[in-house]
Amino acid sequence: MIADQIVNGVILGSMYALVALGYTLVFGVLDKLNFAHSEVFMLGGYVGLSWFALGAPLWASVVVAFVICGLLGLFVELVSFRKFTGRDAQITASLSSLAVGIVIVDLVQKHWGSEPVSLPLPVELRTAGFTFMGVTFNWLKLGILGFTLALMAGLHVLVSRTALGRNIRAVADNPTSATLMGVDVKRVNQSTFFIASALAGVAGVLLAMRTGFATSDIGLSFGLKALAIMGIGGMGDLRGAVVGGLLVGLLEGLAFQFGLGRIADIAVWILMIFVLLVRPAGLFGNATARDVRA
Amino acid sequence: MMQDYLFFAGINILLAWSVYIILMSGSLSFANGGFMAVGAYASGLMTTRYGWDLWLAIPASAALAGLFGALISLPALRTRGVYLILVTIGVSFCMVVAIESTELLGGVQGLGGLVGTEPWHVGALVLAVGACLWLVSYTPLQRILDAVREDEHVAGALGVNATYVKVVTFGVGAALAAAAGALYGHYLIFIRPEHFNIMISLFMVLYVILGGVNNLWGAALGAALMTLVPEFIRVLAEWRPTVFGVLIVLLLLVRPEGILAFRTVTARAGKRIRKEGAP
Repeated sequence: MIADQIVNGVILGSMYALVALGYTLVFGVLDKLNFAHSEVFMLGGYVGLSWFALGAPLWASVVVAFVICGLLGLFVELVSFRKFTGRDAQITASLSSLAVGIVIVDLVQKHWGSEPVSLPLPVELRTAGFTFMGVTFNWLKLGILGFTLALMAGLHVLVSRTALGRNIRAVADNPTSATLMGVDVKRVNQSTFFIASALAGVAGVLLAMRTGFATSDIGLSFGLKALAIMGIGGMGDLRGAVVGGLLVGLLEGLAFQFGLGRIADIAVWILMIFVLLVRPAGLFGNATARDVRA
Repeated sequence: MMQDYLFFAGINILLAWSVYIILMSGSLSFANGGFMAVGAYASGLMTTRYGWDLWLAIPASAALAGLFGALISLPALRTRGVYLILVTIGVSFCMVVAIESTELLGGVQGLGGLVGTEPWHVGALVLAVGACLWLVSYTPLQRILDAVREDEHVAGALGVNATYVKVVTFGVGAALAAAAGALYGHYLIFIRPEHFNIMISLFMVLYVILGGVNNLWGAALGAALMTLVPEFIRVLAEWRPTVFGVLIVLLLLVRPEGILAFRTVTARAGKRIRKEGAP
C-alpha cells in the first residue's frame, strides 16, 4: 500500500510542480508574486470540464484550457503588473493580482455554483490499468504523469534553448541590461505570463481529470500550496519548483498513508517555514544582497 | 440590523489597524487572522470554561496573542518582503488546522456559549485605539517607525534597533487583532475555525491597501467603506467580492498608494510651511 501512496504522491507532486513552475517563472522574471495564478489554475479545471461536457474530446479540452488560461494570464499582466514596475511596487502588484483572483473566484461561483462540478469521464478510462510488482498502475494517472513531465521538459527546452528563453533569462537576470541589449521587456513579460498561466490551466484540467471534479476552492488550497512549494524550492528557480513539488507530493502521500490526513494538508506550510528559516532564500535560491534587502 | 453592521464595521476597522500597525515598521502580515483566532479562542476558553470576567479575559488574551505574535516574528523576520508574506500565510494555515485538531477548543465543531459584547464596546475600542495611533503620530516614535519602514539599514546606522522595533510592532498588532477577535467571538456566541481562515487575513490587508497604507485614516476608511457600503446597496451585497476586487484593481491603477495617500508627518510639515513661510 505504501507503494501505491508513493505513486499517488509522485503524480500529485508533478501537478504541484506544474503550478509552482508558473509562480516561479513570473517571480523570476518580474520579482513579483502573482496571486491570481492559483485562481487561473482553478478556472482551467472548469474550462476543460465545460468543453468536455459539450462533447469535445479530452485533448481538445486541454488545448482550450491552455489557450483561455494563457489569455487570462495576459489580462492579469495588463491590469496588475504592467503599471507597477520597480521593486517598490512589488507588494502593490501582488495585491492587485490578489484582487483579480478574488474576482475570478466570485465569477466562477456565480456561473458554475459553489458546489463541485463533476467531470463525467467514461468509467473504462478511469479504471483501466495494470498491476506491476504488486503496485496498481492506472493508465489515466500514468497519462497525467507522462503529460506533466513532457510539459516540464518542454518548458526546460524553451527556457534553455530558444531565443525567447534566452530573452526570458536575460530579463530575469537584469531587466535594465536586457533593455540595453535590445530585449523587448514588455514582450518577454507577456510571454512569461502566457506560458505560466497556460501551464496552470492545463494543470487545472489534469487535476479535474484525476479527481473527477472541479471546485472553486482549490485555488486557495491546492494553488496556495504551490506558492509554498515555490518558497521551498527557491523563488525564480525552475529546478526548485520541480524538486519541491515532487518532495511535497511524496510527503503528503506518506502522511496520508500513516493516517495523518489533516496534518498532510499543512505539511507543506510547516516544511516551507522551516526551510525558509534555515535558508531564507529556499533550497535552490541564492539570495543576493538585493534580494535580502527588499 | 443596523447595530450588526456598525459592529462588524468596527471590528474590521480594528483588524485593518492591526495590519497597519505591523505595516508601520515595514512588514506585511497575512497572519492576523490567526492572531484574531488566538484572541477569540483564548478569551472564549477563559470565560466559558474557567468563568473569568470578559473584561479580564480580553486583555489577558490580547497579551497572550501579543507574546505569541512577537515570538513568531522573531524567527519570521529573518525573512524579508515576499518571503515574509509566505511565512505569515503559512502561520495562518497552521493556526486553523491546529485549532481544528485541538479537542479542548471544540475542534471542527467550534466553541459555543460566548456572550457579553455590546456594539458600543467595539466603538469605544475603535476610538481608544484611533486616539492612541493619532497621538503616536506626534511623537518621535512615529519617526523611528518611518525610518525603519523606509530603510532599516539607514535606521540602524542612526542607532535604531530595527529588529526590536519590528518585533514590538508585530506583538502590538497581534494583540490588537486578538482583542478584536475576542470581542467578535463574544458577539457571535459560537465560533468555528473557518471564521478565521486565510480569506479573513487577506481581506484585512486589502482594506488597508484600499484605504491607503500611509496613515491611520486610510485603513479605517477602507474597512468602513467595504463593510458598510454593500449592506446598503442590495446589488453590491450580491456581487461583493467582484465589486471589491474590481474596485481595488482600478484604484491601484489610478492611485497606487490608496485613497488617502498623504503621510501624516509630511502633511503636517507642509501645513506649517504654508502658514509660517518656508524655513
